[in-house]
Amino acid sequence: MTKTSREQANNEAARDAEDPILQWVTFQLAEETYGINVMQVQEVLRYSEIAPVPGAPEYVIGIINLRGNVVTVIDTRARFGLEPAAVSDSTRIVIIESDQQVIGILVDSVAEVVYLRSSDIDSAPNVGTEESARFIQGVSNRDNELLILVDLNKLLTDDEWDEVSQI
Amino acid sequence: MSFDVDEDILQDFLIEAGEILEQLSGQLVELENDPDNSDLLNAIFRGFHTVKGGAGFLSLDALVDTCHGAENVFDTLRNGGRQVTPELMDVILQALDTINDQFAAVQAREDMTAADPELLAALEELSKPGDALPDTASTEPEAEAEAPAPEPEQEQAPSSAGGIDEMTDDEFESLLDELHGPATVAKPEPAAPTPSEPSPNSSDSDEMTDDEFEALLDELQGAKSAPAKTEPQPEPQPSASNDEMSDDEFEALLDALHGNDAPKPIAAKPEPKPEPKPEPKTESKPEPKPEPKQAPKAQPAPKAKAPSKKPSAAGRGAPPAETTVRVDTRRLDEIMNMVGELVLVRNRLLLLNSNTNDEELGKAIANLDVVTGDLQGSVMQTRMQPIRKVFGRFPRVVRDMARNLKKEITLELEGEDTDLDKNLVEALADPLVHLVRNSVDHGIEMPDVREKAGKPRTGLVKLSASQEGDHILLSIEDDGAGMDPEKLKNIAIGRGILDPENAARMSDEEAYNLIFAAGFSTKEVISDVSGRGVGMDVVKTKINQLNGSVRIESQLGKGTRLEIKVPLTLAILPTLMVRVGTQSFALPLASVSEIINMDTKLTNRVDGQLTMIVREKAIPLFYLNKWLNRTQPENFDPAAGHVVVVTLGTQYVGFVVDALVGQEEVVIKPLDRMLQGTPGMAGATITSDGGIALILDTPSLLKQYAKRYVNR
Repeated sequence: MTKTSREQANNEAARDAEDPILQWVTFQLAEETYGINVMQVQEVLRYSEIAPVPGAPEYVIGIINLRGNVVTVIDTRARFGLEPAAVSDSTRIVIIESDQQVIGILVDSVAEVVYLRSSDIDSAPNVGTEESARFIQGVSNRDNELLILVDLNKLLTDDEWDEVSQI
Repeated sequence: MSFDVDEDILQDFLIEAGEILEQLSGQLVELENDPDNSDLLNAIFRGFHTVKGGAGFLSLDALVDTCHGAENVFDTLRNGGRQVTPELMDVILQALDTINDQFAAVQAREDMTAADPELLAALEELSKPGDALPDTASTEPEAEAEAPAPEPEQEQAPSSAGGIDEMTDDEFESLLDELHGPATVAKPEPAAPTPSEPSPNSSDSDEMTDDEFEALLDELQGAKSAPAKTEPQPEPQPSASNDEMSDDEFEALLDALHGNDAPKPIAAKPEPKPEPKPEPKTESKPEPKPEPKQAPKAQPAPKAKAPSKKPSAAGRGAPPAETTVRVDTRRLDEIMNMVGELVLVRNRLLLLNSNTNDEELGKAIANLDVVTGDLQGSVMQTRMQPIRKVFGRFPRVVRDMARNLKKEITLELEGEDTDLDKNLVEALADPLVHLVRNSVDHGIEMPDVREKAGKPRTGLVKLSASQEGDHILLSIEDDGAGMDPEKLKNIAIGRGILDPENAARMSDEEAYNLIFAAGFSTKEVISDVSGRGVGMDVVKTKINQLNGSVRIESQLGKGTRLEIKVPLTLAILPTLMVRVGTQSFALPLASVSEIINMDTKLTNRVDGQLTMIVREKAIPLFYLNKWLNRTQPENFDPAAGHVVVVTLGTQYVGFVVDALVGQEEVVIKPLDRMLQGTPGMAGATITSDGGIALILDTPSLLKQYAKRYVNR
């Protein structure tokens, strides 16, 4: 190994340390592309029948049987204040784990996994709808397309917000 | 207080000490009935001592202080410095309560409050030898030959903390603990009851105090072969040190030497050795006599055996404990869950096979059927615990209450070995305590009243458990005053819970059930024991939650009998599957009383509420479709479907469902955090065809959707 290539390698490593690469799973909702941290995604399922739970909060579509475990599926559209959409062939349930609970989120489609450096992510709270703004962790510009990064912890737990906004 | 100590060590301590404390409460009550039982005294002393040791290591000072006080009292007691009196027991029990409180604080990772200084002072006072000092021998038969002289010295030692080797014994202990790790704390305490026999013969050693000797014997017999092998070596040291070493230190030393694995003896030796050395030979001779049986046996393989002691120490030192393993209940739940899955897969296979008629496949599936059934049974068995765990606390509860209320009460326990699901054992504890307190408080009369009524002065409360098919039957029986249905009705009318017309129509049994109504209390005056009228209400709810039922029988002047029926396990629930709209729902079968066809000719609207005549009784009728179906069907036919009649206590309610699917045993899956507490839903389950069904919780369903009916 030459000196320069070693230096380069070192530089790479150093850069990775201070500016880590994160992987994001992107999905579509209405016209927007959203991303969630790949570490929080357990699996992606095709749409299967979701059993509604009477008396459950509005944004909960129901429960599904995930290999013997009962998993709650939430309606991401309702959560983000979007119009409901019909189930299509590309509709997916993304099983995510956050704060020790496993939950499914229903999305229009799942696209790909993208690699982003921390420095590529901007904090821009004023995108998307008003409801979705509070679940947003940041945005990133990729090939002139805006990728909205979702903070799942807020998506799942920030229930007080709902109650406040309903008053 | 800091918790920077290793979490594992803390956990170990919590488990060990928790068990010891649980035992202590039982032992203390036993002691009151059998005050001269030296084995028991020793066991209790040791219990406090062990907890203290562990707490000391974790720097839980408040806990150490209280345990230390209690321990000293028992040191005095077992040395015969005092007699067990009810007053002394009060103080001790109070101390135990304090320790329990402090322990609970540690468990909750909260700061614990120091013990009441008055209590500590009382303990201190009690730990000084009282009037009975000269006849020390009375509590300890073995002590007869011994000179009582050394004892006072020893009592001083722990309290003044003046170890001879310039070390306080706390320091010494924590040092030892540090050397050996926390597991050593669990010394073979329950084994203590055995040693009484051989000890008298052995008393010929006139240079050794009996405590030391006893401790030695306990170690030998209690811990059986494994620890015994170390015995021959340590003996010379302690015997020599009798006038220079407090017995606390001595015990700690012994524990350390025998209690555990290899590093200990080596580590512990250096300190005590210097002093004992001079005279070991002459003194140690008499001792071997009582022990030869065990000592030689154990000697051959001392080293190989050493490690085996550790598991047994973790299992609280009982000899057979080596065959047991401590398993986190969460893991058991996981296994249970997986077995549940297996059962579901089996069900699905059975269903599939019924369509194919392949003989080979049929055989294999039949085999699988048997094996999964067995597996399910075995796993279920691992979750079973004897109900003794709950019953164990009652002697104390009854004793305390009887003393407070100045009543005379005997408590009889029956069927303590009845096994039931661990979760049930825990869930039943509170309701049972409540019911027993009620029996003692409301049921049993004052001794004078009883005498006048021609009954023995001492009342009897009998608690029994037995298995009846797939149910557990618990009963609480007293021979007290019994309940007067008319009086109950009048009170209920007075409280506005009941109107006079309804009261007149009520059967006696329904009247007894009034005590479960919210806001009902038969005692005019609120005592500190019971009488607030919230208790029975809660008891009933709790038992209903467990899919259980309560029945009351009472005879005025003769007594009352309460019967609680709960399922064997909470993990598997027999249900009736019904269909509402397109969805399946499961109704707990225990509450379903009958199923009838919907017939609009039998329905009426009474006061705005749809009712149906079932067996000449009008029961309220509800369409589940209106409650549970998000998309209301357009052509709704009120005459279609079936009525499932469900019992709620003594009441009946009818639910109209679209179709009946059948009876199915289901594994309850709790709902996610997000859906927990959804009204009317007890959980979900996977049906045999892989779909999902929600399990309905009838009381909460009615509360949510039929408010008007429930309020009435």
